[in-house]
Amino acid sequence: MIPPRLPLRGCAAPQGGGIRGSGRPVAANVILSRRRFLALALGVAVTPARGEVTYPDVEAGTTLVFPRDEGAHPAFRSEWWYVTGWLRDSRGRDYGFQITFFRNRPGVAEASTSRFAPKQLLFAHAAIADPGVERLRVDQRAAREGFGLAYASADRTDVRIDDWSLVQDADRFVAKIAARDFALDLSLAATMPPLLEGDRGVSRKGPDPVDASYYYSRPQLVVTGTLTLGDDARQVTGVAWLDHEWSSRYLPQGAVGWDWTGIDFDDGSALMAFRIRDASAKALWAGGTWRGAHGATRTLAPDEIAFTPLAHWRSPRTGIDYPVSFRVRAGNSDVTLAPLFPDQELDARIGVGTVYWEGAVRAMVGDRPAGRGYLELTGYGQPLRI
Amino acid sequence: MTGIAARMRLWGDAARWSAQRAVARAVTGGLREALRGRSLLAVVAIAFGVALGYAVELVNHAAVSELNADLAVLAGNADLEVRGPRSGFDEMLYPTIARDAGVAVASPVVEVGVKLRDHDEPLDVLGVDVFRAAQINPALVAVARERVDALRSDALFPSTGAAQWLGVDVGDSVIVQAGLHDVALRVAGRAGADRAGRYAVMDIAAVQDRFDRGGRLTRIDLRLRAGANAEAVQKRLQALLPPGVDVAPPSSSAQATTRFSRAYRVNLNVLALVALFTGAMLVYATQTLSAVRRRPQFALLRTLGLSRRRLVMWVIGEGAVLGAIGAGVGLATGYLIASMALARFGPDLGAGFFEAGAAKPAAEPLSILIFAALGIGAAVLASALPAREAARAAPAAALKAIDADVLLPAATNRIAWLLIGVGFGMAFLPSIDELPLFGYLAIALILTGGILAIPAAAQAALSRIRAPRALPLSLALAHLRATPGRFAAMLAAVVASVALMVSMAIMVTSFRQSLDDWLRVVLPADLYLRAGTDSAFLSPRDQQVIAAIPGVARAEFMRVTSIIVDPSRPRVVLLARDIDPHDAGARIALVGRDIVPAAGAPPPVWISEAVADMQHLTAGAAMTLPIGGRNVAFTVAGVFRDYARQQGSIVIERARYRALSGDDAVNEAALWLAQDASVAAVRDAIARYSGGRARIRAETPASLRDLSLATFDRTFAVTYALEAAAVIIGLVGLSAALAAQTLARSREFGMLRHVGMTRRQIEAMLAIEGAVLAAIGVAAGLIQGFAVSLILIHVVNRQSFHWGMSLHVPWLSLALLAVVLLVLATAVAAASARRATGIAAVRAVREDW
Amino acid sequence: MVELRDVAKAFDGSSPRQIFTGLSLRVEPGEYVAVVGASGVGKSTLLNTIAGLEAVDAGDVIVDGVDCAHLDDEARTTFRRDRMGFVFQAFHVLPYLSVAANVALPLALQGLHGEAADARVHAMLEAVGLGGREASAPRELSGGELQRVAIARALVHRPSLVLADEPTGNLDPQTARQIVALLRETVKASGAAAVLATHSRAVAASADRVYRLAKDGLHPTSAADIE
Repeated sequence: MIPPRLPLRGCAAPQGGGIRGSGRPVAANVILSRRRFLALALGVAVTPARGEVTYPDVEAGTTLVFPRDEGAHPAFRSEWWYVTGWLRDSRGRDYGFQITFFRNRPGVAEASTSRFAPKQLLFAHAAIADPGVERLRVDQRAAREGFGLAYASADRTDVRIDDWSLVQDADRFVAKIAARDFALDLSLAATMPPLLEGDRGVSRKGPDPVDASYYYSRPQLVVTGTLTLGDDARQVTGVAWLDHEWSSRYLPQGAVGWDWTGIDFDDGSALMAFRIRDASAKALWAGGTWRGAHGATRTLAPDEIAFTPLAHWRSPRTGIDYPVSFRVRAGNSDVTLAPLFPDQELDARIGVGTVYWEGAVRAMVGDRPAGRGYLELTGYGQPLRI
Repeated sequence: MTGIAARMRLWGDAARWSAQRAVARAVTGGLREALRGRSLLAVVAIAFGVALGYAVELVNHAAVSELNADLAVLAGNADLEVRGPRSGFDEMLYPTIARDAGVAVASPVVEVGVKLRDHDEPLDVLGVDVFRAAQINPALVAVARERVDALRSDALFPSTGAAQWLGVDVGDSVIVQAGLHDVALRVAGRAGADRAGRYAVMDIAAVQDRFDRGGRLTRIDLRLRAGANAEAVQKRLQALLPPGVDVAPPSSSAQATTRFSRAYRVNLNVLALVALFTGAMLVYATQTLSAVRRRPQFALLRTLGLSRRRLVMWVIGEGAVLGAIGAGVGLATGYLIASMALARFGPDLGAGFFEAGAAKPAAEPLSILIFAALGIGAAVLASALPAREAARAAPAAALKAIDADVLLPAATNRIAWLLIGVGFGMAFLPSIDELPLFGYLAIALILTGGILAIPAAAQAALSRIRAPRALPLSLALAHLRATPGRFAAMLAAVVASVALMVSMAIMVTSFRQSLDDWLRVVLPADLYLRAGTDSAFLSPRDQQVIAAIPGVARAEFMRVTSIIVDPSRPRVVLLARDIDPHDAGARIALVGRDIVPAAGAPPPVWISEAVADMQHLTAGAAMTLPIGGRNVAFTVAGVFRDYARQQGSIVIERARYRALSGDDAVNEAALWLAQDASVAAVRDAIARYSGGRARIRAETPASLRDLSLATFDRTFAVTYALEAAAVIIGLVGLSAALAAQTLARSREFGMLRHVGMTRRQIEAMLAIEGAVLAAIGVAAGLIQGFAVSLILIHVVNRQSFHWGMSLHVPWLSLALLAVVLLVLATAVAAASARRATGIAAVRAVREDW
Repeated sequence: MVELRDVAKAFDGSSPRQIFTGLSLRVEPGEYVAVVGASGVGKSTLLNTIAGLEAVDAGDVIVDGVDCAHLDDEARTTFRRDRMGFVFQAFHVLPYLSVAANVALPLALQGLHGEAADARVHAMLEAVGLGGREASAPRELSGGELQRVAIARALVHRPSLVLADEPTGNLDPQTARQIVALLRETVKASGAAAVLATHSRAVAASADRVYRLAKDGLHPTSAADIE
């Protein structure tokens, strides 16, 4: 599996740019993939911890209650709100975007009375897949919870780090991101209730039922708002997918990487599928959910899911081959995923010590475009430094 | 026709050529001689001055750049910095400031001087929010193998310099004192880059929790949004801040810190220039005597057609060559000295201003150029007068003169007294940018004027002595009377160095005596307790227990903290202590009158001389101080002397401070013991209570006094060495000049031997001359030194350090110095006389140039 | 007055050099004798030998009945101070003393001060034609005048022997003639014997007797024989 390295490395990592004069490599451009983040969080538990805290486990049979469970679950080790989607400007140009807020309970300073006590940490990153430059624009935030400057509300989705926020108002979410070379001000409107992943919201990640998370999604969010690239603000519309997942344990033994996709079909249906690979590139575990345009839901068993690579792209920077196009068979769905453009690689070796690919993809059924979604590919680089 | 013209031209060329060759020979001869004899000494003196000056400059530069670099590292990329009193300000200012539209990143910091169990000096610990600090200041980011350690409350991240100082590595633990309790912290990594600066980083919450700083911050570093108007943001934020908390660019606090030590550095530099001055005086003596000796040669050259200007240029050129050689040697030596001094004493030469570790001298082209120019310039300037002298002498007169005096401009004496007068006038001018520049100028003018005044003054004094008849004495006096210019030149270096040594001796004695007197006043109790600085303190319960220890008749407590009185300066120390407003003089060393505020007037505070000087306040004035986040009106009840806190201090009644700030902890206590109580027993009781002697240091006034005076002596040790070196150079210069002059007078001695003077008589004559010369030199040095010491005490020190002191003259030492100098000079003169009275001198009567 | 018998003198050093050998000379009181010879032949050494300033290698030097070889440096100095007067080519008048003080120097060395001394200085200055110039500084004097001061200094303490080494060497011919005359006149008036070393025909011509100095001693000659 990907060796957990320097837990909380990301915590201390500054934002990219603006750091000068440091004699040591301080992380820049730290971007966490959701699973990677979990791996890191796991690392905290692996290390001999002081002031040990007990994190709750995911328990099968728990009923999720909304909107309460759309808020934070601070007792769990980690949690994220992960928005991916497509935007189209008035000239018809498509962009991919992702906005992610992570919450982490490092298990330190639990008894502190200080307002600065780092009991809850918040991270966020955002990226734009900009066909104009054919690469990702990225930025991030990190803070400890406190002083109203950074928090994750336990009542509903309301997370903030300074001027980055994702706030829920009933079935609508407002995301505001002010990044280095782009800004997002988006309204994300849900047309259907949350989609519970796995077994009524308990999603297993491996053969051992303990490796699991609470997991629900809000697919087919109707996006309107403003995308600013540089100084150029443009009105955009689009479709997005929100994942909300929390857990204290995640990855099974033997995993080296994973492939994940979430697709909003043009007909209103939605598909989430993932597989966790071992060193021989075989799936250790897989899972997925399909929901029809009218709300019919089907949970997919591991053997119902198959990822078949169709095309590879080799990164000129890292030399890593990514299967940027897949044929995904999941239950009754059989789609071909084609990237918006190939170079959606995120190089975060300095920060979290990994390089991965997270990009906007079109879903084709046969030759016909049928939907838009995101694909996440991790663990394709050479085994990373220990 | 053309043939004749050509031949004439040829002849003219030949003549010019041979004249030039003669000049060249004369000059190179002079140089060769210069490098052989006493001019070598002048070179050494110039080298000495340049070396010291350059070494001090290098050390200063290393110290300041180290300090600035450390401050810059600690300030990181901050555009603005919110600073409050040492006790901090409400942390709720942090979100308010962070939300300002102009602020991109706000990084909160809690600074605590943490008392260590195993070290006397505290360690500056900065509690930071690693997520915020990382965006402004990499030096404050903890670098740990386990990153989560950056957040753990037991994890300490010392800088490389601090780790070296503490002698710890990752995995070790450091025992610190919080209140009266020991806390073990784990060294979990390092902070920042490989800086020598001494500090450590912890998580901000951990610092607040462990060191009783809950809800407090001492600093917020700000990075502004691109395009934000820094001044507008500063103004807007300042309006949000309570009294005593300021927002300013971080450079201003760096400047304040640098300025704090600047006066000390400038003083060291001036001391080095003194050595250069002595060197210049030696060049002057050498060149003057050599010009006199070579007068016939110069006359010959002049008759051969060398223009007066060329001759002046030649002599000055010689000086320049001497200066250049001296400067070259001096720069190299200075670099060596600086390297060794930095390695041995650290960048502040033991004065305790900087904590910075191993600084290295950096040879910068500009300072090399400046010091080379100083060395050469001093030599050139010192050669200018002798050059003029050489050129002035009428060729004919010079040809027949045997041994004449230095020709001084007629106005010399008037110029001398004018310089002295202007010098004293300048002593009354205020400082410029807090540097006593006019004071230094006054010293330079008085010394120069004093040396120029010697010929006339000495002549006047000598003419008052009734002409004695006894032969060696009468001849010696006659010679001295007739050649005041020459011996003034010989004495210049001695007078300059003696004056400086005397002035420094008087100043240091005055300072030391004043310090001693001050210590007696401020240490009236029997035992002094000190818990530490920030992190270590005595709680009200501790205070009760201590006051109740058997044998303690009376206990007074003091809270030491600091507040911002002027944002452009370092924080001023605030001393909240038990003090009786009706008898403040019993606890602090009051200077001048003190008052008791009238009923209804604002309550009293007492301010140190530094605060009085910087804020232009005197007893009776109104003063506003930010205490507990509020501006509080006070009446200045008196000004006191405080040698311990150069940045200035303010004394306030403790009860009043407690009421205003809610801060009831104290750092120090003074105990008066009952008559039959033993100091040892009380100390033991305190040690038992605190669980170890180290947590509360208990000192008797005697040991505190010894400690203070030892620190004082250590600080001034460097200056003693520099002075002694200057005087030795001056003396060696005098002896060389005497020897040279004796050699030049050998024909005279030959004649005297012929007409029946015994060897012993001639030796006696020369010894007498030497003794009289030394007497004049020492007398002039004493007089000038006394004058300069007044300026040092009342102008330079007062303006640099805001330290007042009373005059104390070390009569015995000065008398001893005078006697030693007299004996040495006489011995040197007698020794050089021996050489002059052999057979060679007899033959010298026939010698012609 | 002066008696030299078989005197030999050599300089040792890196290149030892015999100055003269077998030199004998007898000068009676009041006699005025000149020694001539080329430059470097040892005229000054001869005078120094007579003055007791340099020891001889062989022979006797007896001045006024005293053999200086048997005296220590102190006694020789006292002897010289009391019995001899010197005139030098380069005058050697001390620039920092007044004319009178320069002349009074031999008297002061004998411990003679006060009016008696002043009177003798005054008289002596009158005799050399510098009456009234007592207070002048040497730098105000011409070369001839300086040599007059030197002559006065040489005679003021009434020595029995005057030694003069090229007394006109630094003077122009006209002044030289005056000084030659003055020297002879004043020495003769004092009754002292005199030995002059010179290569000047005029100086030699003023002497009672003239000797030529050579390596093998002194040979009588006359001023007319000097080239």
